Amino acid sequence: MAINDVVNLSRAQFAMTAIFHILWPILTISLSAFLVLVEALWLRTRDVMYYRHARFWAKLLVLNFAVGVVSGIPMEFQFGTNWAGFSRYTGEFFGNILGFEGAMAFMLEAGFIGVMLYGWERVPRGVHMFATAMVGFGSSLSAFWIMVANSWMQTPAGVKVDNGHLVVTDYVAAIFNPDMIWGVGHMWMGALETGSFVIAGISAFYLYRRRHAAFFLRSFKLAMMALVVIAPLQIWLGDSSGVEVFHHQPAKGAAIEGFWHTNAPGTGASWALLAWPDQARQRNDWALEVPVMLSVLGTHSLTGRVEGLADIARADQPPQLPLLFYAFRVMAGIGFWFMLLAFWTALVWRKTGGRLQEILARRKLLLAWILSIPLPYVAVESGWIVREVGRQPWVVYGLLRTSDAVSAVSPATVASSSLMFAGFYVVLLITFATFAFKWLKQGPDLEAVPAEFVPPATATGAAAAH
Amino acid sequence: MPLASHTTLSTAWFGLIGIMLVLYVVTDGFDLGIGILSLFTRDEHDRSIMMHSIGHVWDANETWLVALGGALFGAFPAAYALLLSSLYVPVMIMIAGLILRGAAIEFRHPAASKRLWDLAFGLGSLIAALAQGVILGRVITGLIPGRIGTAFSVLAALGVASGYALLGATYLIKKTTGRLERQARSYTLASAATTVAAALLLSAGTMVISPVAQSRWQDPVVFHALLGLAVISAIAFAMLLIGARRGATHSPFRGAVLLFISSFAGLALSLFPDLVPGRLSLAQAASSDGTLIFMMVGIGVLMPIMMGYNYYQYFVFRGKTQWQAH
Repeated sequence: MAINDVVNLSRAQFAMTAIFHILWPILTISLSAFLVLVEALWLRTRDVMYYRHARFWAKLLVLNFAVGVVSGIPMEFQFGTNWAGFSRYTGEFFGNILGFEGAMAFMLEAGFIGVMLYGWERVPRGVHMFATAMVGFGSSLSAFWIMVANSWMQTPAGVKVDNGHLVVTDYVAAIFNPDMIWGVGHMWMGALETGSFVIAGISAFYLYRRRHAAFFLRSFKLAMMALVVIAPLQIWLGDSSGVEVFHHQPAKGAAIEGFWHTNAPGTGASWALLAWPDQARQRNDWALEVPVMLSVLGTHSLTGRVEGLADIARADQPPQLPLLFYAFRVMAGIGFWFMLLAFWTALVWRKTGGRLQEILARRKLLLAWILSIPLPYVAVESGWIVREVGRQPWVVYGLLRTSDAVSAVSPATVASSSLMFAGFYVVLLITFATFAFKWLKQGPDLEAVPAEFVPPATATGAAAAH
Repeated sequence: MPLASHTTLSTAWFGLIGIMLVLYVVTDGFDLGIGILSLFTRDEHDRSIMMHSIGHVWDANETWLVALGGALFGAFPAAYALLLSSLYVPVMIMIAGLILRGAAIEFRHPAASKRLWDLAFGLGSLIAALAQGVILGRVITGLIPGRIGTAFSVLAALGVASGYALLGATYLIKKTTGRLERQARSYTLASAATTVAAALLLSAGTMVISPVAQSRWQDPVVFHALLGLAVISAIAFAMLLIGARRGATHSPFRGAVLLFISSFAGLALSLFPDLVPGRLSLAQAASSDGTLIFMMVGIGVLMPIMMGYNYYQYFVFRGKTQWQAH
């Protein structure tokens, strides 16, 4: 009983901390990439408007980065505090990769963000560009390593059990595990999609209000053009990682789709568009089905074999089936809406030549972009729930059960730390929102002129004395 | 032969993690210390300068802790699991302190009223420092339960907090002018006294309660090395006291850093080859050769580069802090 409580409480705590934390890095990754782009455009074209964009969006990045850093600290230590069994069992690979993330990625971000944010007048332009690029690269690199670690939990490879824990036998196989390329790609693209929607949505907000319209038409266009490529690419990545899930994690695939009985050879598995999966009765209470479609989606063939959930031992089935089923549909639905919105806008652009007055007249289109700002976050969180809840009851798929991974701590301790985090998150969210609205109200500084970097004579002397 | 190379590897990792720990303690130590000192600073403008002096580096400083956590997790998984799960409460309190101060220092910037943020920054820094002291105390005593363990942890908490205040005060001497600099000099003298008192008491306490340290100190090589470190500590202490009184800009901070390095070197010498004295040795906790080598290639080789660009960031913002309200 007590151990079950600890498992459930620790799962709830990890879910809460991860769901909260993930909100911030996905914007940091894409916003810092955007800052690299506008700063490079400024240096190339010498158009000061790009410089003003860099300064304006960097203010949002600071607020976002701060919450990302502080909400990330618990993540680094939670594996040890709450999941000591997992840490001992997987440390040789998982801990190693987390160490890489800290040393290669977080440090790079942190080591240059000071120069990037406060160093405009203190370093030459080329050096500042380099600092911005390192922050952008560092944040994407951290996504890479953390998704290497996470994908290895989905499709572990390159390890063997030795003396009660895992030992790496093949680093290439472990890092390039079957899910890695899709996990990294889908997450990274999701991050880029998030930032593009935030930038486009906020720009649309100013366009809608007709404030600084010419200024924001530029960022709107950049983000929209990026999304014309990103949105379909993300759907393709999602589809491909789906095929990978059905191949390597059949129980997860079946649970996501509410699919109970393995299709007979030579027939196609039918796909439930909507249903209510009932784990107790091991069937769907009701379902709206499309014949053959699941074989097509899950195996890219008309008669591909899809294993049904009822044919998998009950102890190996993921829990919370309706949550998995609907979280997946929410994510995928949003993904398609994004592609539609991006294409629709691109079409409008072609028809009107992107002239400011024409775009300003498209009130509904602008409103659609504004209202879409929260959607990438909803999609990423839903996708994350599908990915992680779908992996249950395993923490390392097929190797270590979640119930064998927790620390020997009391339920009360875990509950109190969870409460503490919940309190922090509420305050952080409110504070971030308050300052973000302030930033939005204040708007960009359209007078800002880049200061020339003059190497201070006295400072050179001080440097020599160092 | 393979056994010898494994010992070499795990010893190298013990050294590397030790370096990361010292880098963390010294760098985040001074910015946590500035947080602690900000609690005693009444004037808001002064607090603004204090926080501005670390605004561009505190995040990188704290990242050494994150890198350290990951490195310990990979190189010594059993130690990571044992320490964090048995020190659940102090670790969570440390995290709470770090969240509080990290959010406060960034959000004070755009805030109209700074007072509440300043308080959060100061308290968060103090809480994090005390919690880190408790963690240090628990590790040195090998996680022993009971009153002696508690007393030792309380002493370690006070020692770490005053040591961080010392680092912070000496850093402020470098970065500030006028009244604030004079204030920093008197903070330096006060915190140097409490830090050294706590360090001496902790060393004596370790000798009494830790059988591991007792046996290590009887080894003549270790004994002489420790004697050397004691001499270095004394020189460092004199350097920072004289520097603080005579108006030197850099030597107080350098003295404080040297004091920290020699203390941690002494600690490492006293515990080696145990990671958690009496509970877990290096050999028991270490990952296998493959992982240790792979990590050494990934992290060890990167260390000089990391230190290089961190130094560059300090270099860009060198000299006295310029701050004007806007």
